[in-house]
Amino acid sequence: MSTVEEIKKELKALNAEYAKIKTIAPEERKTFGIELNKKRQELEKRLKSAEEAAESENIEPIDITAPSAPNEKIPEIKQGSKHPLMTELSHVLDIYSRMGFNIMEARQLDDEFHMFESLNFPEGHPARDGYDTFRTREGFIPPAHTSTMQYRALTRYKSDLEAGGQIAVVIPGRVFRNEDVDATHEHTFYQCEGVFVSKDATMGQMLGVLKSLFETYYGQDLKIKTQPGYFPFTEPSLELLIEKPKSLGGKGDGWLEMLGCGMIHPNVLKTAGIDPDKYKGFAWGGGIDRLAMLKYGLTDVRYFESGKLEFLEEF
Amino acid sequence: MKISLNEIKKLVPVEVETDELIRLIGSRLVEVEGSEDWGKKFENIYIVKVLSAEPIPDTHLHLCQIDAGKDPIQVVCGAPNVRAGMFAVWIAPGAIVPATYGTDDEFKIDSRKLRGYESHGMLAGLDELALGDDHSGIVEIDPTNAKPGTTFAEAFDLNDIILDIENKSLTHRPDCFGLIGFAREVAGILGVKFNEPSMSSLDLNDKNLEIQIEDEKLCQRYSCAVMQFSDAPHSKYLTSDDVFLAKADMRGISPIVDITNILMLKTGQPLHAFDYDKFVKVGGTNQPKIIIRAAKNGENLELLDSKTIECDENDILITSNDVPVALAGAMGGKNTEIDENTKHIILESATFSLYHLRKTQMKHGIFSEAITRFTKGQPASQTMPVLATAVKMLGGNALEVADCFPARPEQPKISLSLEDINSLLGTSYDSELVTKTLENVGFLVEGEFTIKAPLWRTDIHIKEDIIEEVGRLLGYDNIPLDFAKRPFIGAHIDELLALKNRLRGVLSDRLSAHEVLTYSFVNQKLQETVGEDPNDSYEIVNSISPDLQRFRQTLAPSLLEKTAMNLKAGYRDFSIYEINQITKKSYGLNSENVPEMHTYLAFVTTGDFYQAKAYLVAMLNDLGLNDIDFSEFKASKDFPYLEPRHSAELNDICALGEVKARVLKALKIDQTISLFELNLEKLLEILPKTNQKDLKFSRFPSVSRDITLKVELKTKFEDLKKNIENALSEKCVIYSVEPVSIYQAEAEVKNLSFKLTFSSLDHTLNAEEISDIMKKVESSVTKNYQAEIV
Repeated sequence: MSTVEEIKKELKALNAEYAKIKTIAPEERKTFGIELNKKRQELEKRLKSAEEAAESENIEPIDITAPSAPNEKIPEIKQGSKHPLMTELSHVLDIYSRMGFNIMEARQLDDEFHMFESLNFPEGHPARDGYDTFRTREGFIPPAHTSTMQYRALTRYKSDLEAGGQIAVVIPGRVFRNEDVDATHEHTFYQCEGVFVSKDATMGQMLGVLKSLFETYYGQDLKIKTQPGYFPFTEPSLELLIEKPKSLGGKGDGWLEMLGCGMIHPNVLKTAGIDPDKYKGFAWGGGIDRLAMLKYGLTDVRYFESGKLEFLEEF
Repeated sequence: MKISLNEIKKLVPVEVETDELIRLIGSRLVEVEGSEDWGKKFENIYIVKVLSAEPIPDTHLHLCQIDAGKDPIQVVCGAPNVRAGMFAVWIAPGAIVPATYGTDDEFKIDSRKLRGYESHGMLAGLDELALGDDHSGIVEIDPTNAKPGTTFAEAFDLNDIILDIENKSLTHRPDCFGLIGFAREVAGILGVKFNEPSMSSLDLNDKNLEIQIEDEKLCQRYSCAVMQFSDAPHSKYLTSDDVFLAKADMRGISPIVDITNILMLKTGQPLHAFDYDKFVKVGGTNQPKIIIRAAKNGENLELLDSKTIECDENDILITSNDVPVALAGAMGGKNTEIDENTKHIILESATFSLYHLRKTQMKHGIFSEAITRFTKGQPASQTMPVLATAVKMLGGNALEVADCFPARPEQPKISLSLEDINSLLGTSYDSELVTKTLENVGFLVEGEFTIKAPLWRTDIHIKEDIIEEVGRLLGYDNIPLDFAKRPFIGAHIDELLALKNRLRGVLSDRLSAHEVLTYSFVNQKLQETVGEDPNDSYEIVNSISPDLQRFRQTLAPSLLEKTAMNLKAGYRDFSIYEINQITKKSYGLNSENVPEMHTYLAFVTTGDFYQAKAYLVAMLNDLGLNDIDFSEFKASKDFPYLEPRHSAELNDICALGEVKARVLKALKIDQTISLFELNLEKLLEILPKTNQKDLKFSRFPSVSRDITLKVELKTKFEDLKKNIENALSEKCVIYSVEPVSIYQAEAEVKNLSFKLTFSSLDHTLNAEEISDIMKKVESSVTKNYQAEIV
């Protein structure tokens, strides 16, 4: 690059050229003038940037990789974080909302009626054992599944149904199982339940809606499959599996068990005062922790409730 | 539960490939957790004849030559029972020891030198073959029909696939806990008719045998047979029964036990045998008088495992003339145990109330294969056929046979239409297909449709149960997908949920706090440490973990624990928060008779009162709450860990303050920690219902003036600020008062500096007006607070 002085010299020389104009044939003068002007403009432009560059030359360069200048305080921009489980839950609820579901949060201390009886678990039935529930001395139950809210969802929105509409509710909540904690087991975790009742709900609709949910969540078309399950509160009962999505390294093989689902048992509808001959429904529920673990590649579920900043700062 | 595919194939013609069969079972019957290829597991293992076995001097080893079908092979064997002429099982070089098959460290057998002798492969013990636990010697094979060089797999039906079944989803299907029932379902899935295997039958002969069922709710049916018995030990050879049991993860024990176990595995019906003479003697009768009744509270019984249990009214007892001889469904009593002197046995085949047995199981911690089946509700219809088959297998004649079946249940007839089926599933199956599908698995179908379930299907009660059968057997995956038909009605917004999301946005994204989640249950010690009364908390009574004792009353104690942990980990200035539910007994119950719960936000920061306050105010401002009046702290009872002199509250929705030094010390925190806790339901009530802000701008320039006032130390900052604001409001429409500093140089007085900003809506304020405004302010504070303008 030419220095400022050099360019100035060139400019001076160029200015001298203008004197020649008189010696040139009149018909060529115009072209000559245009040429000279063009050259001068270029030189002036170069001069300007050379001058600017020269200004910077007097400034000490800094270490752009350092967090601060020497002797200066390191600027601190503090960043907070949202809990990954809550973020995942929000994401899921957002999809449900867009699909038109009302949201109703689950409570964390409930009773036998909501947890079992209203869900068609006969009293003393061994199926109650499968839930490893905590119990309080006063006879309450920290719920082991968000289905504990089904009765409330059904009764709360029953009037919509009777007015010719439908019941479409999702229920997120914290649930509890009395088991030892290890890398893959937590006694405290999050689920999201869904309940849909209408005059003409079918299992085909249920599978279509759930497929669409996971396709929206993972942003791709997905294959689904089912396996028979058993829940006293749905009949028929199923487990839904989805093809392992591409974002989780799926290559068209491999399946992920996502949730339990089924057509709401007529006794459950009846208990909530809904006539099972007039209305049909489906319900489903799945874990949020698992979604988050899959998404972030976490192998230890214990991080979620650890309160460790080391973990939280990653989110 | 383990299921052998070969056993299934013996009962059902299977024409699909194994992989497809497993897939179909998984999608139409029950989750298959895994499968093990026993053909591979037992590959390269042979039946051999030991030609010679010479002791190797000074060792316990033998140098053997074996016949594996070709030239003799030399093997060194350490088992005491190896001898010339016997037939044994040889693991050839290159084969994997079955007991290690599929594990992380598979053990591959090779040829090597032992004590200077070449040894090729090994002669296997039962444990090495993973068919039993015996390690006392090598497995002996019955020489009858044994041919050296035959593969072990071929000789013992080991070219099999063993499925690992998740039986939790079969809780309602007692029939599928037996191979026959499982096979019947496989037939149904494959669309072929199941041919019921024939069972034996017995004629009743109960002159000398009496059965009394005191309450038919406890015991639906009790059948039994008396027969001669000779105590035969387990065969010294490996038997096909041993292998059959091993495939189900069970072990051969003795002929009588093995036969009852095999029948249980096949039919799902457990059996039990009593010593006849002991039974009669215990009851003090001449002939057996069997009474089935509920146990009395405190009644004792010594069981076969020599443990004495104390029963309660939920246990069912088998008694000999009222003297307990067995805990029904769970375990026999020591007093009627079969031993080498047993001459006759009473063989029991019964069903018991699954509700009672479930309690027995939980109370006494008995989780046997038998009680697992009983608690699914085995059908009463098969006690006699299974009993008859057992008698036949034991090779004896029944001397006495009795059957007490007081209330024979009638299988319900269920009516439903094709429309019922298709409208629930969303399918278009025709009635012929539905009929065939149900008939394949033993349902009686008349017309379109009146349906009677087979006797073993105790789980079929309503039409939805039938629809499930049709949908499942034909494959849910074949149901065409559809969408729920919905009108375009916007979903309701849950205000509390929306608030929580908003708060998380403000706290995490704008105020740099970290959101945490902590357990809802806390250790009682923590509550005591922070000054809460654990007795006001709901108490968890059955937790496996000692840390989960009480439902928490407030969130902050959990966060303080996490704060301590993070400080210890080296973190300094940070803030954490949690939004969650709390409850305590003193809140009482709500209209649903469940505990009243509240949703709280707790925020903890490593700083003093003013830092927590700054966060709180910033957060509330963000929600549109600008006039925040803190009041004196009176909530010590609810927030006992806050230092009352450094705390404040906001109406009754929020407590704010520094944590007591005593609490910090107990938590090993050596710096000031402050926090606030906010009731979000109450916050929701006072939030402005509109987002519309009263925006005040002027297009004319604003004026800023600083003012410093020297006032008495006790003067409240907020009072003085309000006073200035009032004074300004008299003179202008647009104004603000911002704190600049608080400075205390001498006792009893302080200097408060404010920055005042004001403007007019319709003109530029001139010097005179500005001076006038400032004078107004100065005279007001001087008058009201004796403030001295500095």
